[in-house]
Amino acid sequence: MLSFLEVVDRALNGPICTEKDFDLRIFVPNLRKVLQKYNIKYDPQNPVPSDDDLADRVWEAGIEFLIETGLFCLDTERRIIFTREEIESAIDSGPHGCVFGEGKDARVMPRRSPEDKTPPFCSVGPTSAPVSSDWIYLQAVKGHVMNPLSDALTMPCLTVVDGRQIVANSPLGIEGSIRAILLVREAMRRAGRPGMAVVNGVTTASRSQEHIAAHHFGMRKSDAFEIGTTHEMKIDFDSLNKITYALASGTLIFGENGLIIGGLAGGPAGVAVVQAAYNPVDLLVLRAAVQHPFPTHFDLVTSSIRESIWARSLGNQAATRNSTLPVVNIGYSAGGPMTKMLFYEHAAWCIASVASGGSIEVGGAGRGVTLDFTSPIEPIFASEMAHAVAGMTRKEVNKIVQSLLAKYEDKIRTPPPGKKYQECFDATAGMPIKEYNKMDLEVRKEMADEFGIQLKNTSPFL
Amino acid sequence: MLSFSEVVYRALNGPICTERDFDLAIFVPNLRKVLQKYDIKYDPQNPIPADDDFADRIWEAAMEFLVATGMFCLDTERRILFTREEIEGALQTGPSGSVYGDGKDARIMPRRYPEDKTPPWCSGCGAGPVSKEEYVINIVKTYAEDALSDGITAPCITNVDGLPVQAGSPTAIEGAIRTIILTREGLRRAGRPGLAVVNEVASAIKAAEHIAGHRFGDPKVDHLEIGLIHELKIDLDALNKIMYTQSLNNLTFAENGVIIGGYAGGPAGVAVVTAAYNPVDMLVVRGAAQHPFIVPIEKGTTSRRDCIWARAAGLQALSRHSPLPAVGSGYSSAGPMTKMSYYEFAAWVIANVVSGGSCEMGVPYRGVLIDHCGPMEDIFANGIAHAVAGMSRKEANKIVLALLAKYEDKIPDPPTGKPYPEYYDTTARPNKECIALYREMRKEMSDEFGLKFRKTSPYG
Amino acid sequence: MAKEAVFESLKSAIIDGERDKTLAAVDAALKQGIAPADIIEKGMSPGMKEVGEKFARYEIYLPEMMMAAEAWEGAMKVLEPKIMAAGGERKKTGKVVLGTVAGDIHSIGKNIVGAMLKMSGFEVYDLGIDVPASHFVTKAEEVGADVIAASALMSTTMTQQKNIIEHLNARGVRAKYAVLVGGGSTTQDWADQIGADGYGRTAGDAATLAIKAVAKKGGKK
Repeated sequence: MLSFLEVVDRALNGPICTEKDFDLRIFVPNLRKVLQKYNIKYDPQNPVPSDDDLADRVWEAGIEFLIETGLFCLDTERRIIFTREEIESAIDSGPHGCVFGEGKDARVMPRRSPEDKTPPFCSVGPTSAPVSSDWIYLQAVKGHVMNPLSDALTMPCLTVVDGRQIVANSPLGIEGSIRAILLVREAMRRAGRPGMAVVNGVTTASRSQEHIAAHHFGMRKSDAFEIGTTHEMKIDFDSLNKITYALASGTLIFGENGLIIGGLAGGPAGVAVVQAAYNPVDLLVLRAAVQHPFPTHFDLVTSSIRESIWARSLGNQAATRNSTLPVVNIGYSAGGPMTKMLFYEHAAWCIASVASGGSIEVGGAGRGVTLDFTSPIEPIFASEMAHAVAGMTRKEVNKIVQSLLAKYEDKIRTPPPGKKYQECFDATAGMPIKEYNKMDLEVRKEMADEFGIQLKNTSPFL
Repeated sequence: MLSFSEVVYRALNGPICTERDFDLAIFVPNLRKVLQKYDIKYDPQNPIPADDDFADRIWEAAMEFLVATGMFCLDTERRILFTREEIEGALQTGPSGSVYGDGKDARIMPRRYPEDKTPPWCSGCGAGPVSKEEYVINIVKTYAEDALSDGITAPCITNVDGLPVQAGSPTAIEGAIRTIILTREGLRRAGRPGLAVVNEVASAIKAAEHIAGHRFGDPKVDHLEIGLIHELKIDLDALNKIMYTQSLNNLTFAENGVIIGGYAGGPAGVAVVTAAYNPVDMLVVRGAAQHPFIVPIEKGTTSRRDCIWARAAGLQALSRHSPLPAVGSGYSSAGPMTKMSYYEFAAWVIANVVSGGSCEMGVPYRGVLIDHCGPMEDIFANGIAHAVAGMSRKEANKIVLALLAKYEDKIPDPPTGKPYPEYYDTTARPNKECIALYREMRKEMSDEFGLKFRKTSPYG
Repeated sequence: MAKEAVFESLKSAIIDGERDKTLAAVDAALKQGIAPADIIEKGMSPGMKEVGEKFARYEIYLPEMMMAAEAWEGAMKVLEPKIMAAGGERKKTGKVVLGTVAGDIHSIGKNIVGAMLKMSGFEVYDLGIDVPASHFVTKAEEVGADVIAASALMSTTMTQQKNIIEHLNARGVRAKYAVLVGGGSTTQDWADQIGADGYGRTAGDAATLAIKAVAKKGGKK
C-alpha cells in the first residue's frame, strides 16, 4: 500500500482546485454519472436490500467515483488522487484481525459479510453525547461498560471543567480531554473491565493537540483514535496530523465517515455509493483498522430513518463483499432514553447493519446532542438484538426493520425526549429506576412475541 | 499564586479590546509614562550599567507598567489583567532550585544576582535549522560532551525524507517526533542520557506538534519551551501548551524575545518590558525559568551594543527582585568558524552572567542559515560564562567595550562562516581546523582579558 | 419567443442549477427587451421558489440548492447593474453575515442555510468556517448587515455564539443586528440563555427567522 508520506505529499502538492469547484464541478457531476451508469436507485420499500448484484454495482460505482474525484485537502486546496492500482493494493493490504483492548478484555475485530453468522463487534456507549459533570460522566460510562456484550467503549463528551464550559481549541479543551480519558479509565476499573478499549479517542477533544495531549494520559496502543473525513471527501491538516501521530504511537484508528443525506452526496443512492468509496479512502488516507460510517439526515439528524438505514445497509454490503476493511456502523436515534421509541430505533438500524455485514457502535439517544440524555439500557438491548440476528437473512431482517419503522417512523420529527441519565437512574448507585426495567422487559417480550427473537438477557441491571 | 484556570478564565472572559487598541492606546502610552516617570534612559557608553538604583527603578517601572497594561489574548481579543497583589503573590511563590535532568546528569537551576560568584547555568548546542538528521545527533553529542553543559537546546530539522517541514501540517508532527528521537540519541552517544532538553520541541510550532513530539522523548527530562508573542500577547495555542504542561512535571523555559524597534521602542523600553515579563512568566506561562533574548527589528542578532545594554539592564532589574531565574539566550550575526562569532558570543554572555543571568548559548548567523551552526562557539561560551562568574560589572563593561570594538562595525554585513560539512569530519567530530580556531579564541580571551578557562571539553 | 416561454426557460434553468443556461436565457430575455426586474420576478424567482419547495420535500438536496444559488448569483451579476443604471433598486430582503464559529469546521448546515437565505432574497456574506467572534461583528459593520447567523455543531464550540453577542455589546452595536443561532448542539434554551434573537432547529428555519428579524427592524432593503 502507498506510504502515508506519499499521501501527505499529495495533500501538499496535488492539483490545485477551489473547494467550490471540487464540490460542484467534480464531486457532484462524477457522482451523478456513476449513479446513472450503474443504475443505483433508492428503494424505500426495502430498507435492507438483499441484492448482491446491486451491492457489487454500488462498490464498482464507488471505486470509479473515487478514482475520478479523489479527496480534497481544505488547507492546501489541492486534490489527493489515487489510481485503481493503488486502491486495489490498499484493499489487498487491509487489516486482519485487529485486537482492541488488552488482557481479558481484548477483543478481535471480526471481518464480516452479509448474513454472516460471526457475532458482530459491539462498541457501546454514549457515542460522544454531551455530559454535564465528572460524576455523571463516570457513572454513565461505568453503566455502559458493565454490558457483558460490550467489546469496547465509545466515550461521551465532557462539556464542563470545574464549572466552566469547555471551549474547543482552548486550554479548557486540553484539560477537558485529559480529564475525559482519566474518567473513562477509572470507570472501566470500577466496572471490572480495566482492559477494555476506547474506540472514539478522544471525545471532548476537537483539535489534534487536544487528542494528542489526552493520549498521554490514558490511551493505549489497543485503543483507537476516531479520525474522520469532512463532508464529503475532504480532509484537513488537523486530521492528517492526528493520523501522523497515531501512526507514530502505534494506536489504532476508527476511520469515521459522517455522510450527510441531503448534503453533497444527495439522496440515499448517492450516499450509499460515497460510503462505499470511503472504504479504500479509510485505508489509504485515514490508515484505519475499521471503516466507521454513519449516514445522517441533514435535517432530521438521525440514522434511524428509512433512507439512512437503506443507504448504510447497501454501503455495508458493497464494502464487506469487496474489501478487507471491516465496517462498524455508528447510529444516532431520535428518541430519548427511557422511551420505547429509542429501543425500536436502535434495534432497527443495528440489525440492518449486522445483517448487511457490519458491526455496531451503539448509540446516541436524542440525536446525541442533548446534555445528559444517555443511558446504557437501550444499547445493552441493541447489542443483544445485534447478536440475535447474526446469521439471519437480509430478507428476514428487512421484514423486522419494516415493522420496527412502523412503530416510530412517524414520530421522527417530534420524538419523545425521554429522560436524562440522572432522571432514569439512581446516579449514586448507578442503577436504573424500576419503571425503566419494566419498560426494558416489555420491549424484550415484544421482540420475542412479534419477531420470535429470544434475547439472551445479559443485562446486569435486570 | 493565582491558579492557571483563573488565568484561562481571564483569557476567555476578560475585557474586550482590539489588538490595535492594545498596542497603540494602551501598551505604548503606558510604557512611555513609566519611562518618563522613572527616568529610564539608554546609555550607549556603558553597555553593562552598574547602578543598582537604576536597576531598581527599571523594576518598579516594569511592575507599574504590567499592572496598567496586562496581557492580550489574540484569539479572544481580550485582556488578561493582574493586580499588584497577584504579582507579589507570584513573586513570593516563585521556583527555587528546580532540578533539570536525571541521575548523574541532574543539574540545579541557580538563582543568581549581579556579580554573583554562583556558576551560571549553561545550556545550548549551537544548532539551528539543519538539513540532515545525522547533524542533529553529532552536534548534540559534541556539546553534551562538555561537562559545563547543563542542558540541551535541540536543533531543528527542516525536512522529513526530503519533504520540507511545514508548520501546522503532518510533516511538522513527524518532524517534531524525529527531532526529539534524534536529540535523545545524541545524548545517549555522549554518555549524557539524563541531560535535560530545555526547548522541546524544536522543529515544532503548534501545540499539536509539541505535544506529539514530547511523547517520544523522556517526559521527565524533556521540557517544553513556551513563548509569548511580541509584546505581552498570547494565543490559545500557547495557553494550550501550558495547560498540557500543568499535568506534567514540566520545567518550562518561558521565552520572551523582546524586539528593539518594536512596540517596546528603544533599549530603555525593552529593558522595562523584559523585566515586566518576569512575573508574567510565572503567572501565565508557569515557567521555571524566564528565557529572554533581545533582538533588533531589522536583524536578529543579540550582540549589538543596544541589545547588550537592554539585556544587562533588564536582567539586573529582575534578578535583584524576583526568584524566577533568567536564562538569557543569544545569537551571533557572524556565521560559524569566524572569529567574529566568537567575539559576539563572548560579549553577550559576559553581559548576561555579570548582570545576574544564566545562559542559553544560541546559534551563529542568527540561526537563519541552514547547517551553519555550532557547537564549538557554544562550548567556548560555556567557558566564558564560568570564567566571569563573580566579576564586577565595571570590569565586565571594559571587556565588552573592547569586544564590541572588534566586531561592531561588521554587524550590518557579517561573514557567513562555514556549513557543517566543512567543519565536521567523517568521524562525526569537529575537524582540526574547527578545534584550532576554538583553542585560538580561548587563548586570545585569556591573554587579552585574563580570563581563566576550565578544561572540561574533550577539545580542551 | 413568447415572453411566457422565456420566463419558463429561465425558471427551468434555475431549477436545474445550470448557470450557463441561465445566463444564456437572461441574455435572450434582455435582447427581447424584457425588463431586468421582470426577468427576475417572473422568470427566476419562481424557479427559486420551486427549488425551495422541492428541498423542503426532500426531493432535492444541497448540491441542487447550491447550483441553483450559483445560477441565480451569476444572473444577478448581469441584471443588478442594469437595474441600478436605470435608476432602479433591487429589492433585497436584507443582508446576512453567516459563518461557522471559531474552533468548528462543520459547513454543510451553514451552506444549506446560506443557499436558503439567498433564495429568500437575502444578500449573504459567508465567512466560512472557524470564524472568530469579532470577525462576524467586523463584517456586519462593514456591509451594514441586518442579521448575524452563527452555526455551531459541537457542545464545545457553541459558547462562541455567546462570544459574538459579547463582542457586539463591547462595541456598543448589539441593537443593530439580529443574532440567529443554530447547529447540532444548540437549543432554544441555549439561545434564550445567551440573548440570541432566534434559534433555528433546522436549516429551513433560518430563512423564516431572518425574514421576521428584518421585518422587526422595520426595513427591507
